[in-house]
Amino acid sequence: MASVQTRRTLAKAGVITGLVLGGLFAALPVLWMLSTSLKSNGEVFQNPPQLITDSFSFDAYTAILTDPAQLQFFLNSYIVAGSVTVLTLLVAILAGYAFSRFTFPGSRTINAVIVSVQAVPPITLVIPYFGLVVALGLYDTYPGLILTHMVFTLPYAIIMITAYLNTLPKELDESVKVDGGNGWTALWRILVPISVPGLIAVGVYTFMISWNEYLFALALTRTDEMRTVPIGIQLLMGQHSYEWNQMMAMSILGSIPVLVLFLIFQRRFIGGLTAGAVKA
Amino acid sequence: MTTKAAPAVPRSGRLRSLIPFGYLSPTLLLIFVLMVIPIVMVISYSLRDNVIVTANPVFAGFANYTKVLTDPDFIAALKNTAIFISVSTVAHLVLGLTFAMMLNTKLLSGVTKAIFRIVYILPWLFTIAVIAVIWRLLLDPAGVVNYILQTLGVVQEGIGWFSDPDIALWAVTFVNVWSGYPFFMISLLAGLQGIPADLYEAASVDGTTWWQRFRHVTLPQLKPVIISMAVLDLIWTSQQFALIWMTTGGGPLNTTEMLSTYVYKQAFSEYEFATASAAAVIVLLLTMILAFFYVRSQRER
Amino acid sequence: MAVRSTRLKKLMAALAAATLVGSMAACGGSSDESSDGTVTLEFAQWWGAELPAGDFDEIINDFTTANPNIKIKLLSAPYASTKQQLVTGAASKTLPDVVGLDGAWVNDFAKQGAIADMSALMTEAGYDQSQLASQIQLDGKTYMVPVVNFVYPLFVNKDLLTKAGVAAVPTTRTEFSDAAKKITATGSDVKGWALPLDTAVPNGIQNDVMSWLWASGGSMLADGKPNLTSPEVKATVEYVKSLNDAGVIAPGALTMKEQDKVEKFTNGQVGMMIDSLAHINLIKEGKPDLNFEVAALPAVDGYSGKRGIPYASWGIGISDSTEHKAEAFKFVSYLMDQKTNANLATIANGFPGNKNAKPDFSNSDPLFEKAFEIYQAGTPANEFVGLPKSEELMRSFDEQLQLVLTGKTTVDEALAKSQASWSEVIK
Repeated sequence: MASVQTRRTLAKAGVITGLVLGGLFAALPVLWMLSTSLKSNGEVFQNPPQLITDSFSFDAYTAILTDPAQLQFFLNSYIVAGSVTVLTLLVAILAGYAFSRFTFPGSRTINAVIVSVQAVPPITLVIPYFGLVVALGLYDTYPGLILTHMVFTLPYAIIMITAYLNTLPKELDESVKVDGGNGWTALWRILVPISVPGLIAVGVYTFMISWNEYLFALALTRTDEMRTVPIGIQLLMGQHSYEWNQMMAMSILGSIPVLVLFLIFQRRFIGGLTAGAVKA
Repeated sequence: MTTKAAPAVPRSGRLRSLIPFGYLSPTLLLIFVLMVIPIVMVISYSLRDNVIVTANPVFAGFANYTKVLTDPDFIAALKNTAIFISVSTVAHLVLGLTFAMMLNTKLLSGVTKAIFRIVYILPWLFTIAVIAVIWRLLLDPAGVVNYILQTLGVVQEGIGWFSDPDIALWAVTFVNVWSGYPFFMISLLAGLQGIPADLYEAASVDGTTWWQRFRHVTLPQLKPVIISMAVLDLIWTSQQFALIWMTTGGGPLNTTEMLSTYVYKQAFSEYEFATASAAAVIVLLLTMILAFFYVRSQRER
Repeated sequence: MAVRSTRLKKLMAALAAATLVGSMAACGGSSDESSDGTVTLEFAQWWGAELPAGDFDEIINDFTTANPNIKIKLLSAPYASTKQQLVTGAASKTLPDVVGLDGAWVNDFAKQGAIADMSALMTEAGYDQSQLASQIQLDGKTYMVPVVNFVYPLFVNKDLLTKAGVAAVPTTRTEFSDAAKKITATGSDVKGWALPLDTAVPNGIQNDVMSWLWASGGSMLADGKPNLTSPEVKATVEYVKSLNDAGVIAPGALTMKEQDKVEKFTNGQVGMMIDSLAHINLIKEGKPDLNFEVAALPAVDGYSGKRGIPYASWGIGISDSTEHKAEAFKFVSYLMDQKTNANLATIANGFPGNKNAKPDFSNSDPLFEKAFEIYQAGTPANEFVGLPKSEELMRSFDEQLQLVLTGKTTVDEALAKSQASWSEVIK
């Protein structure tokens, strides 16, 4: 059966070649970003281009990490993305439970509305939001950003969580009710703990969306005290020059929280998506 | 989804039937205040003239809609958006599926796959503002990509990827493909991992080829995920604003003008909030057609 | 059941409370009068981002030290973001108390009633208007005062010019075209001129295209109405087209942004550009050894009249909705007083908006003094100041120019179309 062995080796070589090529496609721009963050601005367009230059230094990172205004952007992003994640999960668990465990008049319609909310283009909402968010006293505040981000993270979260809860047998909640508990207890004591992988998947996804959100973060804030990392990066693109190295350094720093989340949770993240996406 | 729920036995009548609405109330409140109200506002703006900039706007009927629908720039934006989203989605699907299948291979160890998995999601980690900037840098006429192409002798002079009217739309689409495939890939990877192994085993016993297994096991099993992801991707890509705005600004010669940049220009550079609102409503209606298919694909599952 | 609803209520209450506390905490910093009678003025501008770090804060601190009852809160962002914030602020009636303005924005904000009539405030405060070099008015009322003016001379890379074998800095269009061709001929990655035509921020039309027209005494208007089909405008566009056809313009022009232009000049990728004098520091910071000089914009051959020098201003205006107009005007007059204004102009590399203010050349670059001579020899020219929807005017012109440069239309047709679209805006 040498031919099977050969074919296996060939297949393996093929897959590895494919993976490396795809990996280059994915990673080269990021590598260039890293390289730019370690150069001086004058060398960005140097010809021929070099990955590592004579002026190699971490100055751009030091500049970002010692600037209180930039640190404030990171703090704001953590506060906003963290709150959005927690609140989205809470609200979506309640909604997902309603869809998964109850039949009620209008449930299909409400579900359809929630699903189609995902399709509402943010650009449609930007114009009325100024008036609305100002009227609600939410302009240039954390709650303003958190609530607007939630409008866009909730639908997907609800769909995923509903799908996930649908995979759990109804007998589970019935057993709690037999013991004298009610639906609320069943949800928090039994269903939520079992659903942790699914919730992590939804949570990581939500965090990413909020952390990287740009349009509303720009439109609904005006002071540096409220601005988030994506806007901070944009502010480094001054009117007249680009601070290439700082911009890239901040981008790299800004991607770290998301990367760490993915590293910690990647198994559960994919597992959670599997359960939600396939078994629904 | 909800059709699967067991019929609840009414215990205390009406009150009991309100319980699901209790659970739904935070969601409904949020969607009402931050989605329904603004949409109503935008519709009302679109039917008036000189909104926002003057204190007393007048009713204008459908004049703004006529104006938008007869604007050649809007028609161009519509066409560009259609190309942009369909090419992006197909490319996301092809790349996402290829990468997901390679990452799901049984030929490599778990650690190797985990490392590649991280490499492959890299584009997903960056905010769109950064993606626009890094690609402007890479694709600059004097940038690295042109340098490599020139060194290899493929081109004589640096190509203005974002500034050549014949190339710009493809350049922004390419960047969008790069930035958007990871989520597609991860979802498909999750889908692949959910395909029961015995299906493949049964197939390999029959002595089938890789291609037959792909066509008769993998694709049918992934179909629901592929359909709902594709529709979702069409919707998300059609909303792409920052990437276009920060790379080409809709130019050159409107060749990359999208519906989103069109609306933005109407509002924030022409101060025509009324026509901007009308355009926004039209965009909303168009995306609702996509949403209809998405809802259907969700129901079918 | 009772338990359930109580818990739900508690959860909701907690959420609501969190939201409320958050919004109240955030509101603390807004421009309200606090209990001890101090007034906080919000001042939105893009200037802070363009000055050496800390310098602007120092100027603000001097004011707040002298006026302990007024606090200034700076809202700094780049130019384009500032504009967007002001447009949205005006729309939602949340314009900061004091706003940095570009002359090209004034018409729209004033018509919208977003910025206050400063003539009235000046009269009220007994302010001596004769010291102001200029005021931007609409229907006889002042809405903006230019604080610092920046001229846009021609920047020339001397090393590239010498390498190309051109002895003198070009002063006429023919000389410029000749120099640009020779510079382009020196190397594969060097071009003669940079022309940023990105339509997202279409300022290139004002700074890099119309400036050629103004430099030769031409005008794009006649009696306040568009006059784009005149021979002068046509000659200007044809000249730009000839440079493009000769291949001396840096590639990527159609989506090039102002930043890219400065960057290409700084890196020696283009030999010449038209740019704000304010960028001298920036260029020197990026490439300390770049050998460049500034000169008046080349005019049509044989032109001997005064040369229009394109300029841009850091203008200032006051929100119409602020409750502290008097304090706001006090701050404006501080920025405009002889000493502060001279100081600000000096650090910004601009020319003061106060006639009596003399910028201090002693520590600044010799190029700056040279530019001041150019400035004094010519007349400031920027016809976009005060026009309605100026950005849209620039954009529609830009689109037509792009069609011309890509050979998709003729100069005459493009100008006729621009004339038509401008006529719809300027009635």
